[in-house]
This record gives sequence, structure tokens and C-alpha cells, in this order.
Amino acid sequence: MGIFGKLFSKEPEIDMAKSDANRGKMRALFNQVVENGDSYKLVFGFTEDVSRFNYGLVHGSKSKIGNLIVGWNEENETIVVVPTVPDLSGCGDPAYYRRSEILKAYRNKYPTDAFIIYPDRKGYIGINIYDWLEDESLYVYVSQDQEVKEFTDFFMNRYKTK
Amino acid sequence: MPWGEIGAVLAVLVIVFVVGHAWFHIVEGALGLLKRLFFRKKEPPAWHPLPPEQEEGGSREE
Repeated sequence: MGIFGKLFSKEPEIDMAKSDANRGKMRALFNQVVENGDSYKLVFGFTEDVSRFNYGLVHGSKSKIGNLIVGWNEENETIVVVPTVPDLSGCGDPAYYRRSEILKAYRNKYPTDAFIIYPDRKGYIGINIYDWLEDESLYVYVSQDQEVKEFTDFFMNRYKTK
Repeated sequence: MPWGEIGAVLAVLVIVFVVGHAWFHIVEGALGLLKRLFFRKKEPPAWHPLPPEQEEGGSREE
């Protein structure tokens, strides 16, 4: 890109060093809590819990973002979800979604193209996955074009149930 | 419309905005208090911190 291209370019540049460092942290956290973690490929995802409120005088909506390290194993057809925080300082316990055990899985179309998994009739998880998200205060800073393609391919061709 | 009336309308809007925000925080605070009272026995979820060597490695790369 020339000097004028850089001056007038509106697209933010991705800090690949930071992205690679975070990718390493994601792997370390995942392997720490998931047995045989190296057999899983990883991608960053997030859940968005939107709740609406109406307090008479005031009404609106609140949204809570939950960061996730999403691992998938193509051989076992298993997705593992590990909750984390944007700075990757720690993580919670993993949740396993084995294709043979879940109720259903599909890709949403509206309002977002999230990956939806129903482990049973009681609840579901909606995983949003993007190539890169700029806001470091809300999301893990990681560039993951290839991983998004691979996960989408796995989910659509091997994992979804309808 | 004279300036005085415009100012009065704006003042009313500001008051509605401020009262709305105050009401929102009062209701949210009361709901939070009730949740803490009823669900305080709930175990906090397990948390695993990032291994220290990885933390150092990550900051070195930055």
C-alpha cells in the first residue's frame, strides 16, 4: 500500500504480534482445562445475552457479552466451549458438546448467523464467531480468518443436525 | 418560538432524562440486592488463571 493508500485507508490494521500472543494464551488456557487439548482446533467466539427491560418510565435493552474459547475435534465430532475474559487472564470449566449426545445443532440466520447448539431441551448456547473484532475491552483480540473458515466448514458439513 | 420556551422544553427533556436514569439505577440496584439475598448460597464458578510462563511469554511478544 502506498503512502496515499495508508493515509486514506479507513480499515484498521491488525496487530499480528498481539493476535499471535493471544492465540498462544488461548491454547495454554484450553490445554490446561481440557484433556488431550492439542487434538482440538481453536477459534475465539462469544455469546451475547440480550435482555429487554421496561421499568415504566424507562425501557430499553441490556446486552452481556461472554467470551469463549471454542475447540473442535473433527474425529470425535465434539465441540468444547471454555468461558474466558477478553484479556485471557483465566478461564472457567469446559462444556462438552458431543454430536452423538446433543439434541440439535444448526446455524442461525436471523438476527445473527450464530452457531446454535441445544445440548438438551432445557437450554441452548449461541456462539458468534468473527474473523476479527477490534474492541479489546469486550472481545479477545485475535485475527482468525482461517480458523473461522475451518470451523464453519466443520459445523455445516459434519456437526449440524438439520 | 421564543428562546425562553425553547429553553423550558430543553430543561424538561433534561429532567426526564435524568429522572429516567435515576429510576433505572434504583430499579437495577433493588433487583441486584434481591438476587444477592436469594442466591447468595450459590457456589462461584471455577476459575483457572493463565499459567505464569504463558503470561510472561505473551507480554514479551507484545
